[in-house]
Amino acid sequence: MTERIPVNPGTVDWAGENPGIYLKDTPDGDYVTLALYFRIVLSPHGRGHTMLILGAPDEAKGYPDATNLCLTDNEPLTHYLIDGFVSKFPTFKDKPGLKAATWITSAAFDKSGDLKASYTETAQGKDVSASMTWKDMNPPFAVEVSPAHAVTGAHDMYSVFLEAKDAEILVNGAALNGRVADRVLFGETISTAFLAFAETWVTPAK
Amino acid sequence: MPLSDQPKNPGAIHWVGENPGIMLKETEDGPWTALMLFFNIAWSPHGQGRTMLLLQNPNEAKSLPETHNVIMGDNEALTRFLQAEFIEKLATFGGAEGYKALQYVPITEAYATGDPHSRYTEVVKSKDFDVELVWDGLGTPTALEIPPELTGTKKHTMFSLLVESRDPAILIDGRKLPGKPGKRVQAGIETTTAFLYFCETWIWAPDS
Repeated sequence: MTERIPVNPGTVDWAGENPGIYLKDTPDGDYVTLALYFRIVLSPHGRGHTMLILGAPDEAKGYPDATNLCLTDNEPLTHYLIDGFVSKFPTFKDKPGLKAATWITSAAFDKSGDLKASYTETAQGKDVSASMTWKDMNPPFAVEVSPAHAVTGAHDMYSVFLEAKDAEILVNGAALNGRVADRVLFGETISTAFLAFAETWVTPAK
Repeated sequence: MPLSDQPKNPGAIHWVGENPGIMLKETEDGPWTALMLFFNIAWSPHGQGRTMLLLQNPNEAKSLPETHNVIMGDNEALTRFLQAEFIEKLATFGGAEGYKALQYVPITEAYATGDPHSRYTEVVKSKDFDVELVWDGLGTPTALEIPPELTGTKKHTMFSLLVESRDPAILIDGRKLPGKPGKRVQAGIETTTAFLYFCETWIWAPDS
C-alpha cells in the first residue's frame, strides 16, 4: 500500500455536502432525472446551498416547460460549482438541460429525517418547492480519490458516502420520473442515490 | 494526499462532522484558562446534532451557577457518545478538573455566521445563557489525512480540513473570556490552539 502523506499540499477548492439522486426508467437506459444538492461550508464564494434538478436532462428547456431547475441562496457560489465542477461530471457534461435550467434565487433550504430510513433535503423558492429524499440507507464508507479517479479528472476528493436503496425527487409535490439504479464508481458498484458528507475538493499542487 | 491505490477506505466510520475548538491561556507556559470544543455532527450512530464542551474554569471542579463548566447538546444521546468515545480520551479536556463537575445543558438554538476565509462564528443558546465562539485571523484551509499513529486515539484514520485562527474569542452573554491561543504542532504543521475543523471523518483502522 502507498504510504499516506498527512498534509495535502494542494489548494482546497470547496468543502461541504454533495448528495445526489440519478434515476433511470430501465437499468440499461439513460438517466431520465438527475439531481444534486450542495450544502457548502467553505468556498471562494462563501457558504450556501444549491439544489439542481434536471427532470429533462436531454431537453434544452427551463421551468415550467421542463422540470429543469436550479435553486440557490448564493448565486456566485452556484455558478462556481456548476461551471467548475458539475459541468465536468460525466453524468452532467453537455446535458442541454443543465444550460437551460431556470434559476430560482433567494431560495430557503432545510433538512429532515434520519440517516437510516429516510432523509430529505428541501428547497423553497418563489412559487416552486422541491425535495430530494433518500430511503433505506446502507452504512457509511469513506472514499479518497486522486485525479485519476475523480469525476472531474483534475482533483483530489474526500467524502463519506451512504448508498440509498430507494429515492424520490418531488417538484411542487409531483414525483419525477425514474428509479434508482446501479453504477460503477471508484471501482465499486454502488447505487445512483447517495448521501455524501464531509466532501472536500482539492486542486493538487503542481 | 489520497491513496491512489485504494479509493474506498476499508475501515468503518465512527463519526463525521465539524469539530472546531478554542483553547486559551494567559501565558505560553501557563495553564489553560478556557477550553472549548464544538461538534456539528453530520453522521454518527446516534444521528445528527450539535454538542459544545465549555470549560470556563478548567482548573476548578465547579459548574453552574459559579462557572460555565458545561456540556451542551441538542441530542443528548449523541453528546454522551461523543463524551465517552472522544472527549474523555483527550487528556486536556477529559482530564481537566472542571470536567469532573460538568453539567449538561440543553441547546435551544445554534447557528453559524460569517465565512471561514475571513471571520467565522458559532452561536450556541440555552434557556439561561448564550455563548458566541469567534474565529478571526484565519489561515489557509489545509486538508489533513492523519494516520492512526498520529491521531489522539491511535486507533483511527482521520480526515479533516483545518483552518487555523490567530484571533479567537469565547463570549458568554457578551463577556469575553480572558486568554489567548497557544502554539501547537499537528502533523508537522506549526499552528495554534484555535481551529476550525470541517469535514472531519473518524474511521476505525481495520486492525483496531
